[in-house]
Amino acid sequence: MKKRSFADLFFLLFVVYIVLPVVATMLYAFAGKWNKTILPEGWTLKWLATLFQDTAFIQAFGRSVLLSGGAVIIALLAIVPAIFVIVLYFPKYEKWIQAAVVMVYSFPGVILAVGLIRVYSQFGVPMIVVVLGAYVIGILPYIYQGTRNSLRNVDARQLLDAAQLLGASKMQAFRKVLLPTVYPGLFAGALLSFSVLFGEFVLINLVVGSRFETVQIYLMKKLSTSGHIASAVVFIYIVLMGILTFIIAKLTKQAKGATNV
Amino acid sequence: MTYITIEGLHKKFGTSTVLHEIDMQINKGEFITLLGPSGCGKSTILRIVAGLTDASSGKIHIDGQDMTGIQPKERQVGMVFQSYALFPNMTVKENVAFGLRMQKMNPTEIEKRVEEMLAIVHLTEKADAYPKELSGGQQQRVALARALIVRPKVLLLDEPLSALDAQIRKKLQADLRMIQQQLDMTMILVTHDQEEAMAISDRIFVMHNGRIAQSGTPTAIYTKPKSEFVAQFIGHYNVFTRPTLEKMMGTRLPGEATKFAIRPEAIHLEQRAGDVPLQGTAKQSLMSGNVIRTTFEGTSTFLMEQLHQGEQAIRIGQSYTCYVAQEDVIALS
Repeated sequence: MKKRSFADLFFLLFVVYIVLPVVATMLYAFAGKWNKTILPEGWTLKWLATLFQDTAFIQAFGRSVLLSGGAVIIALLAIVPAIFVIVLYFPKYEKWIQAAVVMVYSFPGVILAVGLIRVYSQFGVPMIVVVLGAYVIGILPYIYQGTRNSLRNVDARQLLDAAQLLGASKMQAFRKVLLPTVYPGLFAGALLSFSVLFGEFVLINLVVGSRFETVQIYLMKKLSTSGHIASAVVFIYIVLMGILTFIIAKLTKQAKGATNV
Repeated sequence: MTYITIEGLHKKFGTSTVLHEIDMQINKGEFITLLGPSGCGKSTILRIVAGLTDASSGKIHIDGQDMTGIQPKERQVGMVFQSYALFPNMTVKENVAFGLRMQKMNPTEIEKRVEEMLAIVHLTEKADAYPKELSGGQQQRVALARALIVRPKVLLLDEPLSALDAQIRKKLQADLRMIQQQLDMTMILVTHDQEEAMAISDRIFVMHNGRIAQSGTPTAIYTKPKSEFVAQFIGHYNVFTRPTLEKMMGTRLPGEATKFAIRPEAIHLEQRAGDVPLQGTAKQSLMSGNVIRTTFEGTSTFLMEQLHQGEQAIRIGQSYTCYVAQEDVIALS
């Protein structure tokens, strides 16, 4: 019983430690006056309204969506077909993808940023394109895992064989059978990648900075001018991530259900 | 009439040879079974016939046409997989219609053919269900319907029943044989289950280490195994070396064979004219349905199978003289 109480207390402290800063930030986004009291003395939507009236925020939001979404779309178009071909037809080369996935994790953002600047600045390549390229590679682990797990859930090679024996070309088999089957897993991987890139700050700040102001750079700026506005940005970010997480969870469940054959 | 000819089929994966010069001739409307343990190359033959794997050398002709370089989709070969390989994103009806849709058949005709085929496999009421909503047996029947509806020249069955429980498997074996005869379809089944092979095949090819160990009708294979491997793989045959069996029988055996096989059910306790005796002490008796399998220990261990006889059960630990007819002692090569 004593052991149980200690465990419960530890869990409670852990939850408070994790949740309290988030709750406080959320409250601050809607707080009117909040100086000497535990909870705000009044509530307001003023900070959110100010945020949505600020063109710089809307543009920063648009840039974040464009950059993260662009990187995800490029990754889906370029990396996913490669993973399909390797996993289905050349499985012995899969170890190289796995090595690449590990390498992505092993580069700290600061080192990556310095390396990218040193290499690409001399060629006159726009730095935002360089960051986009780095993002495409950076989400390789999420895209690879999403695709690989989807293919593992179904016997993808056998589905392709069955479709071809029924008269489908390789492309038809891929489009009509495999893609609809693995789509929920792929989409979940894409959303996860998007949410990771949407919150990325180190690389974009060091390599491009305020020349391409994303939501994270905007947030950084607002931290020094208005805590309420910064909290409102965080609130919007958390809501967006919550929605994405909900969709990912739904899709993952759907993917598992669909392949339970 | 020979419908499928396989000549000198050879397959290597890297340095490992999985098929050694396989030759087969299959008639139209025959139900053929490739029987063998895991890794003997039987599924590889099926995949090569389907065009899903390339042969290292050798030729395959189906209905007089050389299959070299012909794509799987153009071979008119159907296949049913062990894991069913049903398309999870499609309903039963859509799965079955897939092949006809690929042929761009008119939708009214597709609807009619799908209805007919679902009636044959008794799945009409499940037409709108998704594969995940079906039992294993139902899924396998969908896979069968999907393969049959395109009217392939030959249907390949890669251990289609092995994932099912015994009762459903037996029911589907009977269904499969009935559908094959009803449609006069040439079918090649791959299985490691000798009872399944015996139950539904016209002819069996027993495979061992990438070679055909023996081929023939189920009766011929069962009653006249040519090698120790076939004798032991297709049943519970007793296999003896010449010196052991001569010592047990107390007589010299004819011919040059070094090993001999005796079917367990050919051994009995009553002496008949021309029988030779086998001495042994009963060590274990197991009942399997209406059959009792008794293990005796004498000069060598041997197994006897007899129908259940109520009160006359074998007493463990007691010595018996068993008998076997001389013609039931099969010389192995």
